Amino acid sequence: MENIGLLIDGFGHILSWNHILLMMVGVTLGILVGVLPGLGAPNGVSLLLPLTFSMDPISAIILLSCMYWGALFGGSTTSILFNIPGEPSSVATTFDGYPMAKAGQASRALTLAFVSAGIGALAGVVMITLLSGWVANFALRFSSPEYFAVYFLAFASFISMGAQSPFKTLVSMMLGFALASVGMDTISGDLRLTFDIPTLIKGVSFLIAVMGLFGIGELLLTTEEGLRFEGIKARVKLVEIGRTLVEIPRYWFTILRSTIIGIWMGITPAGPTAASFMSYGVARRSARDKSKFGKGDPRGVVAPETADHSAGTSALLPMLALGVPGSATAAVMMGGLMIWGLTPGPMLFTERPDFVWGLIASMYLGNVVAVFLVIATVPLYASILRVPFAIIGPVIVAVIFSGAYQVANSVSDIFLVIGFGVLGYVFKKLEYPLAPLVLAMVLGDKAEDAFRQSMLLSGGSLNIFWSNPLVSSLMALGVALLLSPLVFGLICLARKRKADAEASHSDGSAAA
Amino acid sequence: MSENGANGVSRFAVELGVAALTGAFGAAVCYGSLDVGAGWTEFGPEAGYFPFYVGLLILLGSVANGIHAFFKHRGTGEIFIEGQRAKVVASFLLPLIAFAGVSAWLGLYLGTALYIAGTMLFQGRYKWWIALPSGVAVSLFFFVVFEIGFKVPLLKGPVEAWFGIY
Repeated sequence: MENIGLLIDGFGHILSWNHILLMMVGVTLGILVGVLPGLGAPNGVSLLLPLTFSMDPISAIILLSCMYWGALFGGSTTSILFNIPGEPSSVATTFDGYPMAKAGQASRALTLAFVSAGIGALAGVVMITLLSGWVANFALRFSSPEYFAVYFLAFASFISMGAQSPFKTLVSMMLGFALASVGMDTISGDLRLTFDIPTLIKGVSFLIAVMGLFGIGELLLTTEEGLRFEGIKARVKLVEIGRTLVEIPRYWFTILRSTIIGIWMGITPAGPTAASFMSYGVARRSARDKSKFGKGDPRGVVAPETADHSAGTSALLPMLALGVPGSATAAVMMGGLMIWGLTPGPMLFTERPDFVWGLIASMYLGNVVAVFLVIATVPLYASILRVPFAIIGPVIVAVIFSGAYQVANSVSDIFLVIGFGVLGYVFKKLEYPLAPLVLAMVLGDKAEDAFRQSMLLSGGSLNIFWSNPLVSSLMALGVALLLSPLVFGLICLARKRKADAEASHSDGSAAA
Repeated sequence: MSENGANGVSRFAVELGVAALTGAFGAAVCYGSLDVGAGWTEFGPEAGYFPFYVGLLILLGSVANGIHAFFKHRGTGEIFIEGQRAKVVASFLLPLIAFAGVSAWLGLYLGTALYIAGTMLFQGRYKWWIALPSGVAVSLFFFVVFEIGFKVPLLKGPVEAWFGIY
């Protein structure tokens, strides 16, 4: 196995005290942003990104990816202890995790969550280890039309799989593309969409957008809801942990099924949130005894947690191998790669194998470190949440403003963050999805370049997207996904009409 | 946006307002793209070629969202935000804007200290001898982490210059 050898090389690159320390710092900060409402994985990573500009890329990606793992774990802690999902992807964990904690089984619920999450994450990394080289090799055959087709497929799947109205997804995504194209055009060097405003010449950074949309926007929502933390005093007892560890093999089937769901949803850009909900739903539907679900069934904790984390790690596969991130956080990390001077995609595997395999090796180690750190620090983080929001909220705002300034040392970015914050708040309340906007902002230039290069190749004819079997099948799949909401909508409508007709018919016969 | 008595703002109005805003943004993108040229030259597509269609799609999506709002949200009595909650949100948002304004003038360190002390004093109802040191402490912590730890400078204003810190 060629990949195993490369993986061992990767471990060689990262096994130093310096990197282990960075891992622990990353995980700790990650748990912190995961626990705090208003700070989640995407904007935690964006806030940390400016601080990594001077680091070497391997250390930087270790820090950022470990922050991601930490944030995923932190989100589950608050779901179980406070019934407040620290991350959107841990909403499903509250359904059964909080009832368990309320019934005095906090340690059991937390251990179940962390260990199954760890298993899910490791399964995701194993999948990446085995598949990434193969996917990258396959992608080496891609030229610009194929790349555009892959981007098209990614965005089409957002429109079809999103829970929100497809037109809201479309608007959100296209806003991202438009914002990405503000400033200097990479091909012709022309200034565009700047409307003669000098601060727009440098463009709008996706980091500013993430900090505003996810950070300030989330804080505004939290303020509106007037959050009150009613936490459960948690002491993680060692005996309890041991007893729960013995219990885990009983859930092997739930874990296996959730892992598969998570990996699939992570590779396709549906992301961890959709994965955890779907996995919870499947677990409940297929359970023989459904009565305990929602009242503290352990499977209701294991299923969403496993899927959440396997999706979170799997989201890095398309980012590394194709340059198409599978989640908002992966998109931010990919933006980081480009800032450090690396080009995500198949060439990265041949040009910087030390970076790619160092990252993959760090994912194994980072997740293990995260499981231990999170179990050890639960009481500490639980006490942080008891600090009143009147203090925590403003401190988070100050952190976000500092981060926004550091992106480009620009004062106007601070005001831009507020603008994005209000936009994020309104969009969240009106159910416009935010992830497509971020993804489009990161991928905008690359998608546009791919499109324009294809147009140059073909002399302006769209037929190039149907010119060989590979690109045609990618495009056909994309178009099918785009049309699927329409088809489903029509089917639903037809069914409803039929049901209505039958209902009125039976009414009529009853009256007669 | 229309105020719906003391109940707050109706969701329908906000849906329409946002659709109108995104639509206007889409139109602006189209206009800006046409400005730099959205056509085809002998060197291939011009700079505005791609954004022009993006703008068109925003416009299209906004129109669809606007129409959709009429079917789904009109007359349902759904409320976007209650008057009482809106006040709470504003009491968080306005100091935030003031923070940005003060920071642009006095630098982020002083702005942070003032903002945190201010919100603790007026919203958290802490005593000034708790609020003020807390603000200064957070600001000092930022200084240690950013300037000394990561060597990434933050915005500084006239007060730091006065002390000779750059």
